[in-house]
Amino acid sequence: MIICEGLTRTFGSITAIQDFTVEIPDGRIFGLLGPNGAGKTTTMRMLSCLIRPTSGKACIDAYQIGKKEDAQKIRGMIGLLPEVPGLYQTLGAYKNLDYYAQLYGIPKQKREESIKTTLTDLGLWDRRNEPVGGFSKGMKQKIAIARALIHHPRYIFLDEPTASLDPAASKMVREYILELKSRGDTILINTHNLAEAERICDMVALVKNRVVKVGSPKELARGLFARTISITLQTIPTSLLKDISSLEFVSQAQVNGNQLILNVRNPEEDNPRVIAWLMKQGLQVQFVSEEEHSLEDVYLKLIGGGH
Amino acid sequence: MRKDLDEFKKQKLVIGSIIAMPIVLGVVLPLVMFVPMVTMVPLDRPWDVNGLLEIGSLPNDYRSPRTNQTLENISSQDMVIYHTVLKNVHLNHCILVTCAVENSTLTNSTITNSTIDGSYLESVTVIRSEGSSLDGKYILAVSSNLMFIKTKPSDIDAVLPMMFNMVLMIFIIVPATLPTIIASYSIVGEKNNRSLEPLLATPTTDGELLAGKIFSSFIPSMGSTFLAFTLGVILLDVVLIPKVGYPLLPNLTWTLSILLLAPTACLMSVLACVIVSSKVSDVRAAQQVGGFVVMPVVVLMLGVLSGFIFLSPLMIFVVAGAYGGIDLALFYFARAIFNREGILTKWS
Repeated sequence: MIICEGLTRTFGSITAIQDFTVEIPDGRIFGLLGPNGAGKTTTMRMLSCLIRPTSGKACIDAYQIGKKEDAQKIRGMIGLLPEVPGLYQTLGAYKNLDYYAQLYGIPKQKREESIKTTLTDLGLWDRRNEPVGGFSKGMKQKIAIARALIHHPRYIFLDEPTASLDPAASKMVREYILELKSRGDTILINTHNLAEAERICDMVALVKNRVVKVGSPKELARGLFARTISITLQTIPTSLLKDISSLEFVSQAQVNGNQLILNVRNPEEDNPRVIAWLMKQGLQVQFVSEEEHSLEDVYLKLIGGGH
Repeated sequence: MRKDLDEFKKQKLVIGSIIAMPIVLGVVLPLVMFVPMVTMVPLDRPWDVNGLLEIGSLPNDYRSPRTNQTLENISSQDMVIYHTVLKNVHLNHCILVTCAVENSTLTNSTITNSTIDGSYLESVTVIRSEGSSLDGKYILAVSSNLMFIKTKPSDIDAVLPMMFNMVLMIFIIVPATLPTIIASYSIVGEKNNRSLEPLLATPTTDGELLAGKIFSSFIPSMGSTFLAFTLGVILLDVVLIPKVGYPLLPNLTWTLSILLLAPTACLMSVLACVIVSSKVSDVRAAQQVGGFVVMPVVVLMLGVLSGFIFLSPLMIFVVAGAYGGIDLALFYFARAIFNREGILTKWS
């Protein structure tokens, strides 16, 4: 488990991140969302023991961030994918992975097996000795992720894993991350890609130099927006809007074509009552669905469009 | 370290220059200098006792060698003398090995591993010996320190020891110069390639990281220097054996220099460049500043070539010890100022 309490980092007069307080349970994908300069990379670097917090504290398992004697152990437990893959372009994929496997002290036989399995999974075993400089961005990113995972870390930190990738490469990387989640690893992702975060993150923290909101994407949407029900009727009489608005459990109603859009306090209890009322009015209900708000809606409402 | 060495292997031009530079400077250049000089020596000038090209293959008609005695006030020729004190003697066509010569005159002879004081030498080859208050002409001094009074040695006799020293200095300054570019690139290069952040996020300690960077520059530089040294020594011997009679190199001075001075000088240069590389934000700046790090070696070279410093075995130990001490201090300094956070944040 990763626990951060009041983690703060300043650079001179600039505060990169302030009072960052979250708990990331094991086996979850946790997304850090925010605009450029919001302090996401600084937070990830602090958790990777690359830079020290100015104040506050954070622990990964029993080890404390910022404590010199724990730094090496924490670095051994995490796998970091920085924003840029940072591969050695003239070396092959095998050498790139082998070099890092040696730095993590993996015995020769084990690392040979591990690299072979990884490169075979990535479909790169036959091209293992080709300089990675010639690979596509998606492939490089996958090799960089594989490099971060070569020592089987329990905590994986991915900084913008799909940034600057085309849709196909992004999908490739996203599927790879979901595969990692299925293994039970704890994954921290920095991303601008809200759709991606919504798809793969169990929890997200919206940050803008401080934590604005934490929760699952659905929880955040529900907490911010009233739950909206869309009911498609065969026909909508003109008096319906006035009549239904008078019901005590309907807070807002509007008509759009043959769709009746309602805001109710508690859809689980109120939806059956609405349906029963409509049927009692002799109206035929064709479809009932809940209008969902996306993470993008949440982000724009909390963080705003400007930086 | 292995990663850096693997990267070098891919850079054929880099490997080529690392191997070529010591060979050109330490082998080709000395040969170009020595071959014409050897042929410049007057034909009537004996470089060794006639017929005695090698000690140990004496002609049958030579007398038994004199050994372990003191010879005084005699005139003689065609003798081989070992472990003897010679006072006020006149010798012609002789070989002296491990002798102490005082107030004597020697002509057309070879003196090895001896001390000579207040004597006149003419057409004599002096090898690995010390001399003071000497006079004479046509003296070939090899790996020797001879101090003259009254008359100067011929030009070639004066130049030859200096040339030997110059060649030796090439084998010291080349390993100090060679790794500056690679070592300057070591950390700032990783930063520029954006490969430093994942590297710093590994459990590798600062000391291990620096040691890897240091040895990846040190090993190729010293490897190519040893290769050039071996080739240089063999080829110089090939050129000089017909004149001197046996292999002159590597002597004790050369052996100690290549084993002690060259590695410590190389390490000093690498360490200084790695420190610079960890502090600047641009490869060009690192290389520019890195150029200054060979200064301590240049000072040594100038001292030796000007005759101000005589490279005796003791002096080599002293200089190598000083270089080694500086190396150790530089390593601890490099480790102390290596700041992962500063590298990642201040350079951005």
